[in-house]
Amino acid sequence: MIELKDITKSFQNGKIQTDVLKGVTFSVQKGEFVAIMGSSGNGKTTLMNIMGCMMQASGGSYTVEGVDIKTLDDDELSEFRNKKIGFVFQSFNLLAGTSALDNVLLPLVYAPEYPDDATERAERLLASVGLEDRIHYKPGELSGGQHQRVAIARALINDPAIILADEPTGNLDSDSLKEIMGILQKLHEQGKTIILITHDQNIAAYAGRTVFLRDGKIYEGAK
Amino acid sequence: MKVIKIIAESSKSTLKHKLRTVLIELAILVGIATLTVVVSLTQGANKRIMKRIANFGSDAIMVHSGGGKMHGPSTVQQANLTRKDIADIRNIAGVRFTTPIQVELDMPLKYGNQFTTAWVMGVEANWQDAWRRGAARGAFISDADNEQLSRVCDIGTTTAKELFGKMNPLGENILIRNVSFKVIGILEKRGQSPAGTDFDNLILIPFSTASRRLMNQPLYTSMLRVIIANPAQARQIAGTISGILRENHRLAATEEDDFRISTAEQVAKMIKSTSKTLGLFLWLIAVISPLVGGIVLMNIMLMAVSERKHEIGLRRALGAKKKHIIFQFLTESVILTFSGGIFGVGVGVLIALLIRHLGKPISISWQPFAIAFVISVLIGLLFGVYPAKKAANLDPVEALNQ
Repeated sequence: MIELKDITKSFQNGKIQTDVLKGVTFSVQKGEFVAIMGSSGNGKTTLMNIMGCMMQASGGSYTVEGVDIKTLDDDELSEFRNKKIGFVFQSFNLLAGTSALDNVLLPLVYAPEYPDDATERAERLLASVGLEDRIHYKPGELSGGQHQRVAIARALINDPAIILADEPTGNLDSDSLKEIMGILQKLHEQGKTIILITHDQNIAAYAGRTVFLRDGKIYEGAK
Repeated sequence: MKVIKIIAESSKSTLKHKLRTVLIELAILVGIATLTVVVSLTQGANKRIMKRIANFGSDAIMVHSGGGKMHGPSTVQQANLTRKDIADIRNIAGVRFTTPIQVELDMPLKYGNQFTTAWVMGVEANWQDAWRRGAARGAFISDADNEQLSRVCDIGTTTAKELFGKMNPLGENILIRNVSFKVIGILEKRGQSPAGTDFDNLILIPFSTASRRLMNQPLYTSMLRVIIANPAQARQIAGTISGILRENHRLAATEEDDFRISTAEQVAKMIKSTSKTLGLFLWLIAVISPLVGGIVLMNIMLMAVSERKHEIGLRRALGAKKKHIIFQFLTESVILTFSGGIFGVGVGVLIALLIRHLGKPISISWQPFAIAFVISVLIGLLFGVYPAKKAANLDPVEALNQ
């Protein structure tokens, strides 16, 4: 369902060209829970940005559900992100001063159609991550783990094809870590496709399959 | 639907960033308030000018003794219009009637222990028709008063107030340069004279009394008011009068006129030209200050964009297109300038009322409101576009990592 073929990405900084990705090839099937592991500086974030349709690759092809991402312009990319990608960030990225409910509803503001049952949907999602009694709390009134749970609910509001989680537990204590990973596992059991990016082997262990990113290339299975 | 949702995002954002909102609104408020005051002042001044022009009378031509470029009335010292002049003018085709006026400015007046000065004019009974102004109370000077050289007078409301306060002046005797006159009437209020002076600080006495008893000018008349049948002929008749007077006064072709003729058209032109410079200056301020407000808006919005890069990046990641970001920031700008504009009109009207209270002419109508609303929205759009575009063109990845 998700296919990366010979993806390269270079950055130009003055006269110096840095090749971050040097031909990444791998695919993810529908319903899979895949961890991409790699130590920092190995291009994990770049890969994540490309897979999240936040930037275009320099070369190679990336297709999601048969759509060649390279052919999309800026507006189409935005719409694609809106419909198909659910982001879970390391730093949560909730809007400050905005209630959990409104944060979850935020992607729908930019959706082509604003569903009639948006609020009920958001409330249901918040309940499913255990925040039914925190719906109107603002980020300042929530703990780190609760922040991330709101973010997960937000990632699910558009029923995306992929959930892209970039170090989702990087800023959390071990109790919250277990909670969040538990939620992701549960989503996997419900049939969601989840791509987890991490440097931590213990986190990667939650996933069904692990691939390794090293020197700008992907290695399956072994270290 | 989406538009409404994004507008809601914009208004939430203006409520969230209170200091920024207050600063921008303040800047726009000052600009729009200035604009409102200037519009009110200009309209007030225009109204007063129209009144002055109307007070001159569109069917009137004034003939003044003495040449030169002076405005305003000619006094008895300059008087050089002869009886023949007046008779010839009256005989011009299209002239309905004329009325002579003998003028002395700022004559000393006394009643009891009250002193003041006022213009004193010697007039005939048809002055009433010529100026469409008579006695509001009491009687106007009659033909009989003129025949008998009566020492009676009609006084303007300002003069009446100066001399009598709240007392009833009718039937009282006042001294005009030590000659006693009986007050027989109070003149209708008129406001400003065409020359821009108080047209109610005025005393009318019979023409004959003025010429022979008070002002010692039995031969000549200082001013003549000519009423014509058709206002469209004013310029042509003024030309005829000029020709007659030059001939009667035996002026050589090289000599300048020893009289002045003014028509409603000329008076309007004169009044407008004197009020133009001030108007231009005011308008300059009125235009510049909302622009300054706009620059403040642009500054603060640019700051807001760099402060809110992360938020912009997040919105982009969650699916906002560039146009959504532009729309959101532009809407924020317009919400801020429009609300600033509303406060600005409010403050402007308050200031205008205050100025009116201080006695300046102010006209408050719907125009300042319309202008302020349109201008404030325009400022929001004009000065908000650049920050909004800047926000939309941020690279989503870089913005999110901010």
